[in-house]
Amino acid sequence: MVPLMGQLGVDARWDIIKGNDPFFGVTKKFHNALHGRQEKITARDFELFMVTTRQNIAELELSGDMIFIHDPQPAGLISRKKEIGKKWVWRCHIDLSHPNPEVWDFLQPFVVEYDAAVFSAPAFSRELPIRQFLVSPSIDPLSDKNRELPREMIDTVLAKYGIPDDKPIITQVSRFDYLKDPVGVIQAYELVKRSIDCRLVFAGGTASDDPESDQVLAEVRERAGSNSDIHVLLVPPGSDVDINALQRASTVIVQKSHREGFGLTVTEALWKAKPVVASAVGGIPLQVKNKFTGLCSHGIEGTAYAIRQLLTNPGYAKWLGENGREHIRYNFLITRHIRDYLLLCLALDHEGDVIYL
Amino acid sequence: MIEWLAETWRNIGVPALEWLVETWFKFGLPALEWLAGNWLKIAVPVLVFIATYVIGLWLRRILSNAFDRWQLRTKWEGSRLVIAAVRRPFLSWFLLLGISIAVQISALPAEAKMITVKAAGSLFVLSLGWTVIVLSERLLRIYLPRIKASRPTIALVISAVRITFIIIGALIVLDIWGIPTTPLLLLIVVVVLGAALVLRNAAPDLFAGFQIGATQQIKEGDYIKLETGEEGYVVEMNWNNTRIKTLGESFTVVPNSRLLQRTVINYGRPLKKAKEPFHFYSRTHITELTGLKARNLQELVDTLKKVPDAVVYYHTHRFLEQHHYLTPEPSNDFAVWISDALGDEILGERLASVDTFQFPDLGALRSRLVGIIEEYLTAHRDTKGATPAETLYFMKSVREAMAGEEFYFMKSVSVILPTTYVVSDLREFVETLRRISLGSLYFHIFESRLRLGKGLNDFSVWIRDTLEETGLAEEIGRLDPYTYTLEGLRLALIQLIEKRIK
Repeated sequence: MVPLMGQLGVDARWDIIKGNDPFFGVTKKFHNALHGRQEKITARDFELFMVTTRQNIAELELSGDMIFIHDPQPAGLISRKKEIGKKWVWRCHIDLSHPNPEVWDFLQPFVVEYDAAVFSAPAFSRELPIRQFLVSPSIDPLSDKNRELPREMIDTVLAKYGIPDDKPIITQVSRFDYLKDPVGVIQAYELVKRSIDCRLVFAGGTASDDPESDQVLAEVRERAGSNSDIHVLLVPPGSDVDINALQRASTVIVQKSHREGFGLTVTEALWKAKPVVASAVGGIPLQVKNKFTGLCSHGIEGTAYAIRQLLTNPGYAKWLGENGREHIRYNFLITRHIRDYLLLCLALDHEGDVIYL
Repeated sequence: MIEWLAETWRNIGVPALEWLVETWFKFGLPALEWLAGNWLKIAVPVLVFIATYVIGLWLRRILSNAFDRWQLRTKWEGSRLVIAAVRRPFLSWFLLLGISIAVQISALPAEAKMITVKAAGSLFVLSLGWTVIVLSERLLRIYLPRIKASRPTIALVISAVRITFIIIGALIVLDIWGIPTTPLLLLIVVVVLGAALVLRNAAPDLFAGFQIGATQQIKEGDYIKLETGEEGYVVEMNWNNTRIKTLGESFTVVPNSRLLQRTVINYGRPLKKAKEPFHFYSRTHITELTGLKARNLQELVDTLKKVPDAVVYYHTHRFLEQHHYLTPEPSNDFAVWISDALGDEILGERLASVDTFQFPDLGALRSRLVGIIEEYLTAHRDTKGATPAETLYFMKSVREAMAGEEFYFMKSVSVILPTTYVVSDLREFVETLRRISLGSLYFHIFESRLRLGKGLNDFSVWIRDTLEETGLAEEIGRLDPYTYTLEGLRLALIQLIEKRIK
């Protein structure tokens, strides 16, 4: 974003707050609590957060006509608004729909001091006394994860992971996390497999800050058992081309999450014109309009049914995939993201719902 | 007095008389004696000179009459020009001829004769050259416009002819005086070659300019479009290039040769100009969250009643903007949410069938949506005495959406910005319509009509009010834009306008 902004003549710069391990331990807890997870937060945690915030307030050289503060960790920097003036925007990347009240009560006084808050999905927002804008995340179509790949490269990646290209491939790309319902994906696949011969690829990584991920991976492997048509792939970080190739080799892409952020893996799948079956959670409904740009499902049977629909009706699957790609082209590429940021600057500088330039 | 006269006679008269007598004896008498001995040497050249001049007069008359007869027979309009150009210098030429012959037969020294003849020859060449230049210039001014050569081309050809004859005349004069012309000829050749080298790129344009002018394929005032994308009205054509006024109010200069080498569509003469030009605007938007949400029908309708118009606009046009490539496009957000999140497809269908195009403003549209939902809620208020089917409707009417699937009220903040496109007639308009962004098309057709409350799209208003093309304006106004994809709508508009201006 920053280089592209520069090319447009906007002098955009990143600043990073400093903090020690205990501080980031606290912010991790805040993050989980704001997502609605149960966390034990102590008065000491709040104190530590404030101490580090005060240090950053003193040390950071903040300047600019528009200051974007990302996420809760640096939210306290708003204290300098009185001194600096200008427009301050709180860019929230997390789902605030069901926050831990204790943490939210602590953060809210900071948040309401901003000129506006920006959320990635309508469901992440909440009633606030300040203006709120919707700026969805985006993908870079020229990055390794999304660029066009030659067929040979896709074949090479399939061979690398030992996946024969002999039958339809159903794929889910996600972390090994219960919230992504990997076992549910395998169950849905097994229902499909009863009538249609196909493969399942579950590709993902484990997160170093999530002790559960190894356990989830083990469970998934156990559930897959010796079925040679199920490929559970632990993809190392930075394997963007591999993920790209696996998505492009797929016949149907699934995202059967219980909870989801914006769901950029869905964006990536749609950009590759793949028919998608996904749960209507988090930011997915913004991307998958049921029966127009993909299919939405709620349970294992529903997911299996949708996959069968797509495998047996390739014309319909192709139509959905192409619609999905167009939807991403117009609404979720990095160019739209930049335009939204520029429009946000204009919206904060002008009154009213219609701005004439 | 008498004394004064006598005095003057003595002082002036007598000496003068003496001087006259003396001069007569000194010069007059010898000259008279010389003339008596040589009168024939003078009389003959003079007579020859006079005879030549008379012959000239006679010849001019004969030729003039012959030319007149020929002119009557052929009716060649150039003959009058030839007579006018030649009439006066013709006698001068015979005068010079007479001088030359007279000097040749006179008793003058050979050297004087030679100089006189050379001078007369030079004067003749200069006079003839000037006559040829004047005549050719007048003839070119008659005939070049006949082959539709442009004014700059005519000026260029006349200059070239003038320079050519001046050079030829100068070379002949130099030759007459015996000055070597070979170095000068060489110099001219070098200059011509150099000029050809420098202008080698311009030559194809020059010839193309001639050809275009002669064939009249393209004229000033025509609207042309090149396959390479340049298009607009031709405002000027000169010997090497053609200037086009483009749609963006700027000018493009196209070398003439490209007009011949490329495929060019010529739409012909300008159409009727509008009283006021049409300025194309574009529009983009950002979504603002209100923080308001609804879990069931009652909450939806209660909130829908109080939100700003911008919210109603957003939820009835979001699909159109985000899914403008889809046919059929999904309907408004309310209908989709009620069908998908509440599972009530009957009410969903009823809301989806609300024809947004029929409403002149957002207030009326909002009233209709609220009316349908309230009517439905009233009809399925309770289950007392209800049939099983009615009970099912009641269940749906109080159903709550699952967590995360609530209806989130949003609004759009529009940013309207001018483009560089300004058009004054239907040709410019339709060509611009092909290239404007979908945001611009969207603004003038949808946003301007409903959100800005004009009741009619901008295109129809302009065509009706400033071009007085009422029929076309009505046809565009009748087009239901909600049933097209944006690209499909663009095409439909282009077809309507093309049909009108054909």
